[in-house]
Amino acid sequence: MLSRRLSEFVQALRGAGLRVSPDEAAIAMQAVALVGYDSRQRFHDALAVSLVKEEQHRAAFETTFERYFEGHPQGQQEQEGDAAGAEAGSSGMPPALDSADGDGLEGSPGEQEGAELNALLSSSAEQLQQRMAEAAAGMDFTRMEVMTQQGLYTRRLLMNMGMGAVDDRVLQLAQGSAADEARADSLREWRSQVREQAASLVRRQFLLHGAAKGRELREQTMRQVAFRDLREFNEVKTLVRRMARRLASAHQRRLKVAKRGQLDARRTLGRSIRHDGVPVSLVWRRKPPHKSRVMVICDVSSSVSDAARFLLQFLYALNDVLPRVRSFAFASQFDEISDDFQRYPPDVAVGRVLDRLSGSGTDYGAMLEDFLGRCERELDRHTTVIILGDARNNYLPERAELLGQIRRRAKQVWWLNPEARRQWNSGDAVMASYLPHCRVAHRCANLNDLERLVDSLLTSLRAD
Amino acid sequence: MKTRIDSVEDITRNFAEQGYICSDQIALAIYLAAQLHKPVLVEGPPGVGKTELAKAAAAFLEAPLIRLQCYEGLDESRALYEWKYGKQLLYTQLLRDKLGGMLADTDSLEASMSRLGDLGEAFYSETFLEPRPLLQALRSEEPAVLLIDEIDKADQEFEAFLLELLSDFQISIPEMGTVKARHQPLVLLTSNDQRELSDALKRRCLHLYIPYPEASHEAAIVAARVPELEAELREQLVAFIQYLREQEMKKLPAISETLDWARALVLLHADSLDQAMVADTLNLVLKTEQDVTLARELLPAWLRKFGKR
Repeated sequence: MLSRRLSEFVQALRGAGLRVSPDEAAIAMQAVALVGYDSRQRFHDALAVSLVKEEQHRAAFETTFERYFEGHPQGQQEQEGDAAGAEAGSSGMPPALDSADGDGLEGSPGEQEGAELNALLSSSAEQLQQRMAEAAAGMDFTRMEVMTQQGLYTRRLLMNMGMGAVDDRVLQLAQGSAADEARADSLREWRSQVREQAASLVRRQFLLHGAAKGRELREQTMRQVAFRDLREFNEVKTLVRRMARRLASAHQRRLKVAKRGQLDARRTLGRSIRHDGVPVSLVWRRKPPHKSRVMVICDVSSSVSDAARFLLQFLYALNDVLPRVRSFAFASQFDEISDDFQRYPPDVAVGRVLDRLSGSGTDYGAMLEDFLGRCERELDRHTTVIILGDARNNYLPERAELLGQIRRRAKQVWWLNPEARRQWNSGDAVMASYLPHCRVAHRCANLNDLERLVDSLLTSLRAD
Repeated sequence: MKTRIDSVEDITRNFAEQGYICSDQIALAIYLAAQLHKPVLVEGPPGVGKTELAKAAAAFLEAPLIRLQCYEGLDESRALYEWKYGKQLLYTQLLRDKLGGMLADTDSLEASMSRLGDLGEAFYSETFLEPRPLLQALRSEEPAVLLIDEIDKADQEFEAFLLELLSDFQISIPEMGTVKARHQPLVLLTSNDQRELSDALKRRCLHLYIPYPEASHEAAIVAARVPELEAELREQLVAFIQYLREQEMKKLPAISETLDWARALVLLHADSLDQAMVADTLNLVLKTEQDVTLARELLPAWLRKFGKR
């Protein structure tokens, strides 16, 4: 019983985005068996120690635990269920249809339904749960996808249990005498208790089935929707982090390949001197660690700032593989923003930068000049310059020759444009004059684009 | 090594006697690790006592502590074992005549070879094996506590190499075969989150996150470690440190820094935190110039608010 409950909990955790392997689940059960259930805190800690492997998952674990164990540990819940039943019993099992029902019956639904109602109302707490479980078994909870469907499913579950008859009865009684009124009240109370139980059953089912599927669905949407609409989703931060981490681990592994290869004859001979000229330990030539550096220039004027936010978050989440990122932002003015990102977590930093620099009236020519003034000396053949912007220059001189100068000093120039390719030259946009200097120019309008771009960026850096 | 641990409280109590004040979660993790024979991955900001935890655990279990400090480029020969090449070479040199004599009466190359073969593994025997921390832990006569410190600093290959050790407590040495642990060691890994560890590693470990302690907890730690410090000053000091942790510091002060500061205040015979005293000793707590400057600015306001109670 308990192990079933725990494995359901593990499933709910998977739904909440934690990756729990069967092995870990088994350990969690052993751990719980060791510490027992007397202390809720300890029960919780034992599960946490064996199931939560990353700090960022802690919050998801806490909410799932809270919801799943509903504020009481295993045994206690059972008792409480009994207590509720007993209570219902002692209060005269309010709705039980004794003599009084004779008069109440006129105009009531068919006799059979009356009997069913009777059965329902007179059932003990256990029978009631049994009934609820049976009704639930007949329903397909696996199709629940979003949180808000829970109400619907709860209602359906209650109907399947035959609670509809109770609703009718309440209505009927409410119109009757004072005594009936009182009975209606107690019936209502009983009904809300049952409803509560049903709701919690549905919630558990949702955590089991719905949450995971809903998350998948939302994730797909989040990847495809334009950056500016992404604010509607509150899980986007987690998604970006996860995408970045996946890329990081993929590329990290590849970066380390080819460490061994040719024999380093000079150093092998040098070391052999210790051993009388016998080459005891061999030294292999190592690839020097790559020194590629990335400089990002982001347009943070209102039209592009959403894209900038995500590009920066992405790049700084890749700190493992891209240790040397310098970032700049401009709108009405140009400034370096690396420091903000070093001091604060990405989402805070982005907010600060936007506060400081955002505005309108972008001037790409002036930006290029500023950038060259500051960084020309640091551009070398390991440097990749990425510009994120819509190239809408407000009819100011575009000064594309400056970009040419950058390209000649740097390894490569990438241009990411949040607009669709056919709009790159419409209105005051001047992509055409910048394009010849860019090795790569791509649309970057949603997370999918971004992931693909960063992936190929990392690949191109590896070729250093 | 102690084979029986009665309860989690047992651990908490013993740790407290050693001067390591820990929360229930920490004790529980050690308890589970010892009972389930699972390694524990300890994470948390620097200076919250991750390494100390291993020491305390070793003392509690009355087991030797074997420590492996990880760093970039750490490889098997440093972590596991190495052949003593120099010694092997020396032996062959010294034994050259002897070997020559032994082989003198053979007439063909094959015969010499086979005679050398009969010598067997003489040159790849235990005599020439230099066990490094991991092998030591596996072959230790009594169960040991193995601390793999700052695993995040080691390369990813090394992490993968550890997997066999962590899940089966055995390790393969090509020349000698598989070495199984005589007694399963209690393994603690620490990480400062410099890089993401692989899922495979995390899956094999229990996970313990040690955050910065709460005020009452921190005060208890200071009381245990620096008993000379007066209670009132201790409260003040802890409150100030806790306040600093809420600020936007580049590097937040950890427990080790609190303790350093407490010791310094004892040495200086301070009886309360005042502006001059704090300003002089701040660099014990904060390690970058920027943070010190920020703290100096914040100090007067804080003293006005909480300084004199």
